[in-house]
Amino acid sequence: MKRRAFLAAGCAGCAAIGLARAQGTWEMPARFARPEAASEEGGLWSLMDREETKLRRSPFALRDAKLKAYVQDVACRLAGAHCADVRVHLVRTPLFNASMAPNGMMQVWTGLMLRVDNEAQLAAVLGHEIGHYLQRHSVERLRDAKSRSAFGQFIGMFGLVGAIGQVGMLAGMFAYGREHEREADAIGVALMRKAGYDAAEASRVWQNLRLEQKERPDGGYANPLFATHPPAEERMQALAELAQAAPGGVANETAWREHVKPYLHDWLAEEVKRGQHEESIALFTRQLARSPEAAEYLWARGEVLRLRAVGGDLDLALADYLNAVSAGGAPAETHRGLGFIYRARGNAAEAKASFQRYLEAAPQAPDFAMIKSYLEELRT
Amino acid sequence: MKPMRIAFLAALLASCASVSKIESGAQNIGERMQVTLEGAWNHVSVPGMGPAQVWTMEGLPVDQLLVYAGIKNDELVHAPQSGGARKDFAFRSGMQPDEIVAMFEGTLTRDGSQFRLLKLEPAAFGGEKGFRFEYSIVRRRDNAVLSGVGFGAVSKGELFALLYHAPRLAFFPRHQPRVEQIARSAKLKT
Amino acid sequence: MGATRLAVAVLVSAAAVSSSAAWGQSKHLAPGFASLPKSATVAIMPADIELFSISGGGVLEPKADWTEAGLKHFKAALLAKNLKLGLRTVALAEKDADELAEVNALHAAVASAIALHHFGHLGLPTKDGKLDWSLAEAVRPVKQATGADYALFSWVRDSYASGERTAAIIGMALLGVGMPGGQQIGYASLVDLNTGQVVWFNRLARQSGDLREPDPAAETVEALLTEFPVAK
Repeated sequence: MKRRAFLAAGCAGCAAIGLARAQGTWEMPARFARPEAASEEGGLWSLMDREETKLRRSPFALRDAKLKAYVQDVACRLAGAHCADVRVHLVRTPLFNASMAPNGMMQVWTGLMLRVDNEAQLAAVLGHEIGHYLQRHSVERLRDAKSRSAFGQFIGMFGLVGAIGQVGMLAGMFAYGREHEREADAIGVALMRKAGYDAAEASRVWQNLRLEQKERPDGGYANPLFATHPPAEERMQALAELAQAAPGGVANETAWREHVKPYLHDWLAEEVKRGQHEESIALFTRQLARSPEAAEYLWARGEVLRLRAVGGDLDLALADYLNAVSAGGAPAETHRGLGFIYRARGNAAEAKASFQRYLEAAPQAPDFAMIKSYLEELRT
Repeated sequence: MKPMRIAFLAALLASCASVSKIESGAQNIGERMQVTLEGAWNHVSVPGMGPAQVWTMEGLPVDQLLVYAGIKNDELVHAPQSGGARKDFAFRSGMQPDEIVAMFEGTLTRDGSQFRLLKLEPAAFGGEKGFRFEYSIVRRRDNAVLSGVGFGAVSKGELFALLYHAPRLAFFPRHQPRVEQIARSAKLKT
Repeated sequence: MGATRLAVAVLVSAAAVSSSAAWGQSKHLAPGFASLPKSATVAIMPADIELFSISGGGVLEPKADWTEAGLKHFKAALLAKNLKLGLRTVALAEKDADELAEVNALHAAVASAIALHHFGHLGLPTKDGKLDWSLAEAVRPVKQATGADYALFSWVRDSYASGERTAAIIGMALLGVGMPGGQQIGYASLVDLNTGQVVWFNRLARQSGDLREPDPAAETVEALLTEFPVAK
């Protein structure tokens, strides 16, 4: 049985956050054997096995081999000796979430893939979830009858793939106690550092989410992971301290961008379609702050502003679209968006030019015939 | 979605739901719309299910023909939801075809289902300038994969539309021709 | 499956209005179909079963270990019943089930429609009271995977009163109030793999039955496959 010690004795932050192991070291447990079928844990394991089969067969599973292998590889390096037990599933859902079940099934939703800035941030979330897994927090928690009931009700009603928008219930079901959260945070950071990632990125993930969340008019939680892991100041502080105690490591932003590039446009489009304007604008603005020239984000924010159409939104949308075009690499829909605004404002010449550019850029577009008819109308 | 679904079922359970036969021939829907059917359809009515009439050939879990006959400005195109947890979709008279389709897309994806627009083109509907569109849906609750076709027009500030979706395997191809025929037969009174 | 609540409500509502004894055999058979030819092979599709516990407050809680047992016993009982009926059966491999996910989802939707409209009180006038649903060419992959002539699908959702629920029931009974202890709902569906027609369908909705043990599970299978149309 291999044992590994993390965080040398001098880790001041560890005692402060109350790790279970008294000396300020943490040893990765040995791989888990499948529990007895008749036991409570065995039952949970079987339930998760069946949910995993359904997920595997679902049209909502994202099956791209290359992307899946990339995320699996990150999870694997974090999990160390447990690598063989971790199975990554990417799910098409435009919300920020990742979770890991006691049987090793790990889910990552595309809303998360859209929101993290680099590989290290992905590692932070996966490492955190692996932390829960290694410490068997969900099993511990489900020993509590009330949690079991909430969990059972949730799974019974929605299954795992069907779980969307039921954030209130998710919070009741997936919420871990503060002690568990601290442990998972600490272990997540330790795993990140061991795998060579910059642990400072962990705190940033939650800060970014909070920024987005603040914009919601009703102040409610739309993102499940956020609702179940409320990033209290204390946690931000603890994560920052843990990172300071173990500086160094990489973020791997370039590799990250390269791998998600083929999907970025689709995920942005899905985010726009959520119709949660304020959150989307906050998200895209944040992403633009990091890369002001990124045409895809400019287009996406332009879309949301155009759809919201409140106050000066249309002017802002125009500006975003035009900036996307001048930045280069703007998606074809940028010209369509421009065309819509010009058309609505009666700027016939500009509208014609924009629609024309759209048709040229996207001859296979589903709405080609409709936009063509708008163009023809403008010509008469 | 769940609260609506449970309310829907509560109505079914309370026997408030009913089915009636829509016979072949000319049928008036609302004050201004008329279609001519070649072959009967089933009209399922559940109080509080929203402004569209729901017709079906194989049963609600399988196929649905949604008939919108005169939706007014600012009117919701779906049943109102208590709690307001999810975005509402209302028709506005000034909406362009692409916006109307986006509105329908919104209502059809409130439960987390995925919608993909396959085609949108201008087409006459009810004798007025309108549009026709094709789409696919992956239904979140049971992973069913559906194909859909829609038709619509705005006449005197009111929305008239037909949306039909059914499983892409076997059922959509089976009934699509009749749906196209119903759409072609539509007339709008002024 | 995510639609359990919906299905429970649908099938329970159906049960409230009817009882299986009231329906003649024709309700369960497609027009023109009387029985399986003696030489027919039947593909047994993996049963879709979930077992729940009902808490004191009436909340359904899935019980994974019960479901595990239920699947095992149901499968064994179904095998035994098929032998008794003299059917030639082919089991569908789990791996094949992966590829047939869309057809399975399609069948589940059709079965749901049959349960709601044909056996419930929302009959579709155009169906004219007949069991007339067909998956047509959509079943071809099932035929290809199994080589069978027919496919048998089964689906059961079963709930049992937990200890606290039983106590609540007894308590309420003392007060003169009846409370349902648990429900067993399900269906069995036989599909012709050459035409896609649902040729036989039976649905169950009752307050007895227990899939957690072998003997009661066998009784459930008996109830589900009542008047299964074997050639006499």
